[in-house]
Amino acid sequence: MADRPERISPLHAVAEPGVYGANTDAPQVELSERLCGSLVQVQAWPDTAAEVEKRFAKELGVKPGKLGVTKGDVIIMPTGPGRWLIDHEDEGLEARLRKAVPVDLAAVTGLTHARVVVSLNGPKAAWVMASGVALDFDLSAFPVGGVQVSHHHEIGLTIHRTREDGFDLYGFTSYALGLWHWATHASAEVGYRVS
Amino acid sequence: MSGFRLNSRDGVGTLLNTGRAVNFTFDGKPYQGFEGDTLASALIANGVSIVARSFKYHRPRGVFTAGSEEPSALVTLHNGPRTEPNIRATEVELYEGLVAKSQNNWPSVKFDLMAVNQLPGKAFSAGFYYKTFMGPARPGHKATQFWWMCEQFIRRAAGLGRGASLPDPDRYAKMNAFCDVLIAGGGPSGIAAALRAASAGAKVILCDERATMGGSLIGTSDVLNGERADIWVRERLAELAAMENVTLLPRTTVQSMFDDGTYLTVERVADHKVQPTPHEPRQRSWIIRAKSAVIATGAIERPIVFAGNDRPGVMLADSARRYASEFGVAPGRQVVVFCNNDSGWLAARDMARAGVIVTAIVDVRSDVADDIRAAGEETRAEIFTGAAVKSTQGWQTLTGVELCEFSEVTGQTGATLRKLGCDCLAVSGGWSPAFHLTSQQGGKPVWDAELQAFLPGEPVTTWHGAGAMAGKFGLRAAFRSGEEAAVLALADAGLGEGESDVPEIEGDTIDYAPAPVFEIRSDGKSFVDLQHDVTADDVRLAHREGFISVEHLKRYTTLGMATDQGKTSNVTGLSIMAEARGKPIPEVGTTRFRPPYSPTALGALAGERYGHLSSERRTPMHDWHVENGAGMYANGPWMRPESYNAPGETVEQAYIRETKAVRASVGLVDVSTLGKIDVQGPDAAEFLNRVYSNGFAKLPVGKARYGLMLREDGFLFDDGTTWRLDENRFLMTTTTAGAGRVMEHLEYHRDVVWPDLKVALTSVSDEWAGVAVAGPKSRAVLKACVEGCDVSNEGIPFMGVREAQINGIPVLIARLSFSGELAYEVYTGAHWGQALWEALMNAGKKFGIVPYGLEALSTLRIEKGHVAGPELNGRTTPYDLGLGGMVSTKKNFVGSVLLSRETFKAEDRLQLVAIKSIDGQRIRGGSHLVKGSKDNPGRSEGNTTSTCFSPELNTYMSLALLEGGSARHGEKMFAANPVRGAHVAVEVISPHIVDPDGGRMHG
Repeated sequence: MADRPERISPLHAVAEPGVYGANTDAPQVELSERLCGSLVQVQAWPDTAAEVEKRFAKELGVKPGKLGVTKGDVIIMPTGPGRWLIDHEDEGLEARLRKAVPVDLAAVTGLTHARVVVSLNGPKAAWVMASGVALDFDLSAFPVGGVQVSHHHEIGLTIHRTREDGFDLYGFTSYALGLWHWATHASAEVGYRVS
Repeated sequence: MSGFRLNSRDGVGTLLNTGRAVNFTFDGKPYQGFEGDTLASALIANGVSIVARSFKYHRPRGVFTAGSEEPSALVTLHNGPRTEPNIRATEVELYEGLVAKSQNNWPSVKFDLMAVNQLPGKAFSAGFYYKTFMGPARPGHKATQFWWMCEQFIRRAAGLGRGASLPDPDRYAKMNAFCDVLIAGGGPSGIAAALRAASAGAKVILCDERATMGGSLIGTSDVLNGERADIWVRERLAELAAMENVTLLPRTTVQSMFDDGTYLTVERVADHKVQPTPHEPRQRSWIIRAKSAVIATGAIERPIVFAGNDRPGVMLADSARRYASEFGVAPGRQVVVFCNNDSGWLAARDMARAGVIVTAIVDVRSDVADDIRAAGEETRAEIFTGAAVKSTQGWQTLTGVELCEFSEVTGQTGATLRKLGCDCLAVSGGWSPAFHLTSQQGGKPVWDAELQAFLPGEPVTTWHGAGAMAGKFGLRAAFRSGEEAAVLALADAGLGEGESDVPEIEGDTIDYAPAPVFEIRSDGKSFVDLQHDVTADDVRLAHREGFISVEHLKRYTTLGMATDQGKTSNVTGLSIMAEARGKPIPEVGTTRFRPPYSPTALGALAGERYGHLSSERRTPMHDWHVENGAGMYANGPWMRPESYNAPGETVEQAYIRETKAVRASVGLVDVSTLGKIDVQGPDAAEFLNRVYSNGFAKLPVGKARYGLMLREDGFLFDDGTTWRLDENRFLMTTTTAGAGRVMEHLEYHRDVVWPDLKVALTSVSDEWAGVAVAGPKSRAVLKACVEGCDVSNEGIPFMGVREAQINGIPVLIARLSFSGELAYEVYTGAHWGQALWEALMNAGKKFGIVPYGLEALSTLRIEKGHVAGPELNGRTTPYDLGLGGMVSTKKNFVGSVLLSRETFKAEDRLQLVAIKSIDGQRIRGGSHLVKGSKDNPGRSEGNTTSTCFSPELNTYMSLALLEGGSARHGEKMFAANPVRGAHVAVEVISPHIVDPDGGRMHG
């Protein structure tokens, strides 16, 4: 059997490392992109959410909370009532979860290829985010670990605050180039580094 | 007006940095000002009197105000693509290299030949266009036709500046902000509100349209806590700026108040520079969501209407005062002040203190308070009470005024008193609170008889007025009301009251209530609205002709229109109409202000939702298509290959070649754009069985089925195949364009109609890359590259779905055909899309595989008679399209009840047919099917839907909807497209041209 080829990011041709925009001596934002090992959505039924959380704890060693929970190489992000998005290094996560959480408890949907993750970090990260997303990025309203399902330029976007000055943006693959262009354009005023 | 620069000293030129000279040009002539000047103050300081020509009469105009309410001094800034017309010189901050030009004149602003417009006298009065250009053109009414010809010249002569036709090189950014208290206006009441709200820990945003906050504190002679007001305010602003919970936004106008505490503000980030620094936006629009707001936007001084009141040299009194105190500029060498209230006297005193020579103070009132009279006497000016300015003299600029006796009781003028020489007349007719924002939200203004002004009405949203905007005039009232409004706003935000910090104020206490005098009637043009050249006579003419409603008055005379939206003219115009009607002003009413508060660049509103930042979807194979010559075009948000043109090939030649290649051997097409929905759950099969017209409950695992989806009213909604991946998991495909609406349709029925069903719906359109491999050699291509799956007819039967691998890539293969040929759709994870495409191309090389684009895809399905979007047009049923066999009679489904209406089975409904061109002429899209000749086509009996050149028929053909069409095969008609001059002889044929028995697909 042939070796499986590398996955190609829709941003492979544009995410060139370097320093861009204003303040090239001290860029205020750092941008990077990555493909998830696995990205899986789990949607529990109205009466099974609690049981699904227990299954997560057993299978992944992490119990979901009101905010996103990161432990080792797994991130569990609540994206709605009884719904989670799980970002994991393990490429076989979808199959694992399908076994651990059978359909009478939840629907398990693979979205690994449906999203790209753009990380936006730095002192001006929240400022850049506010320029394109109509959310309150004050820490009191959007704490570290918080997850928001919103949009930029009317295109859906899941935002995970990874630290006080850092966000992971889960954008649609087909719109990835637009997301990248927006992020770089919005960051240019304060200067940004692509890493 | 012969303005000049005053000696700079304490309290004079408080905004200026006289240590830094600034060079600029106006109409090509170089001038010099200082940092801190506006273009208007610098022009006045340089003795430039005429800066503009008026809209209609081309009368010379000077600077009339010192703020955003300016009606006259409109200029064009910059050159080339940054050219921006109709900018108020009073708002333009002076910077090195500024280029400004006058507008609406020829050959120059000083000598404008278009001023001939003044000569026809009253011919250009209100309603000129309506009376002249409206009316039937018929024999005997040549005059109207003549005027129509004249219209183009008249319209060219009228108007303001001209914009650039080149693309704007600047960027316009957006920002979202949230706060507890938004404060609009950085004057005394706004600053008091900000200090109070900030002390309570509230998140505060304070906006002010000027570069330097402080409002009237910047130029007042009052003392706060023992300090000069401008110094006190700078210290307080520094305190606010240092607070983490406060955001100060100078150069930022709150333009619009929307529902639920949402405000649009526009920050002029770089308008005070020659051009923005690299990557800096020119302007930034802020969408601010505030729990509450304090509106402290102040008040706008009103003029008094009299003959020649528009002559350069006539300006508002408080503006004249500001030029002296804030900009260190004398507005004239001999200034006369004309007023109906106390503030005019104080303006005169402050100007005199700054070094301006005030020669006379004229007040319509007979009685003036002693302290006010004393303030006037300090100026050493001649004082006239119970008097009025009747008219002005001068050729192009003001040289003098004629005074007369005046009774404020009767409003009548009396004997002429004097003629006074002067080059500046500073007028104060009272104050109009600037409640534009609250008016936008619908709060009906309330007339205050004492202030002779409208005040904002009851709030309909969460805001609190403060300062002059709320009728609280004077510094003490401003501070008090600012704090009171802040406390109310803090309560709205659920916060405590904060700490009071009202300063000790040493200064004037005056009565802002004016005498109810708006016009001094005399012969000559008396302007109400300077920007649109609307005179008092125009208002009275509108009254005589029946346009007495305020709304009609506005539209008939254009009073209150244009860039200033009547900021200095609305109340005066109303008062003249009220007098004409014999009614009190509040009974005449007022118009509602609309956003924005002041003119805004469209770029600031549009932001960056254009060009490469617009929402565009790309498939994983996009780069391959481009690199291999595909012409890409937008299909909805998706970019798709139209065709892969060989050198010299047209699109039509390319798609015909691609179509033939598929029919003869094999081709592949990118179908990643199809909508894809993951349908999962214990009730997924039952759910699908209810939303599709045909049965899905018993679809075996590993099989796909074509399904029809209907609306509740029985019309077709969308179609596509759905693949059963396991017992409780399906992959639904939809049309590309229908993906979003199908998702909404499914979610609605899942959530609202059948909430008891356990079904999860997730869009996976972006998860999967899809490639259709079509043609008699498609199986051979798969055989050459597929691993882990038997691709024979038995291995993957028609509509079979299998998992496999290609080149190590996991794939799903479904044997489906849109083209009518043996065909497969191969799906893989999007990030492997290009690798899959290249693997299939490599495997197909020996079979002459070709990539084909959307045109060939469409041609193939048209020849097969497969329907798509143009046939699923929202007005067709399954029966109309020959799909009645897919309507189950054994179950209920969405649309089943209304689909059973008798009318849907009528024989004369539009039904799907194909037509072919008899003589090879092109059938135009959008053609109607008629029986008559080109000259007399008769009625339309149907229309074409999808048109192409058919290699199979070797002629142009089209799918069409034709009345009773299924029974009319063989009939000869015409495809008429009169718009394009086409009238093509066609024959009605079956829509199933290729493989009607399905042998190829099933082979």
